[in-house]
Amino acid sequence: MAKKEYSFELKSSLSELDTLCQNLEKYGKKIGLSKKFVFEINLALDELFTNIISYGYEDNSEHIIKITLTPNIDELCLCIEDDGVAFDPSEFESADIACSVENCRIGGLGIHIIKKLMDEICYQRCGSKNVLTLKKKLATKKS
Amino acid sequence: MEINEEIQNGINIFKLNGRLDSNTSQGFEKQVFQAISDGSKSMIIDFKDLDYISSAGLRVILKATKAIKREDGKIMLCSMQDYVKEVFEIAGFDSFLPIVATMDDALNAF
Repeated sequence: MAKKEYSFELKSSLSELDTLCQNLEKYGKKIGLSKKFVFEINLALDELFTNIISYGYEDNSEHIIKITLTPNIDELCLCIEDDGVAFDPSEFESADIACSVENCRIGGLGIHIIKKLMDEICYQRCGSKNVLTLKKKLATKKS
Repeated sequence: MEINEEIQNGINIFKLNGRLDSNTSQGFEKQVFQAISDGSKSMIIDFKDLDYISSAGLRVILKATKAIKREDGKIMLCSMQDYVKEVFEIAGFDSFLPIVATMDDALNAF
């Protein structure tokens, strides 16, 4: 697969989830990703984006979240950059799952989902920015 | 997301169409909890036309299930598309939520 980077920016509002979805569907079609693959990267980026909007900002002004997709030979690299408070999801302990309705703990569910869907997660704090890089293998299915 | 609500044999049926994420889950939560506070103890959520769900959507489903159980009621989830069902499985929610294949299966559970 030819290396072709694709970037887009989202504003810090939950309604931008629709923009995220549209961009990913367009990009998926362009480079021939399966619908399942697009669904899964959409879900991982949605969970991260929602976390940033919900916990990342201490003011009410508008911020920009930048997403960059880079296809490599056997994997797709997803990079998400924000200028919110420092937060490393890769260090965050996942939720305990598979419990009962009564005592199900819900905290950390989004991060648990991201870890299940992605093959690699790498966090860097660059100046005032969080830079999170996710990798997902293209050929082999990860369940 | 569109939500169509109907009542059949005393069961509140919510048909979801579109995407249940952190942007749309609040509206759905409001509607479900309105039905519960209006006395509904039997509920079916039809996922047939739902294309997408995130953890924010799972949270609402879990909250609704807890609330209905507290009232000694019953909730059934039916007709999920594969990708959506997979999200319930990844979260481990399929082990304790009543998920069935078809609307008939859901109706027959009451």
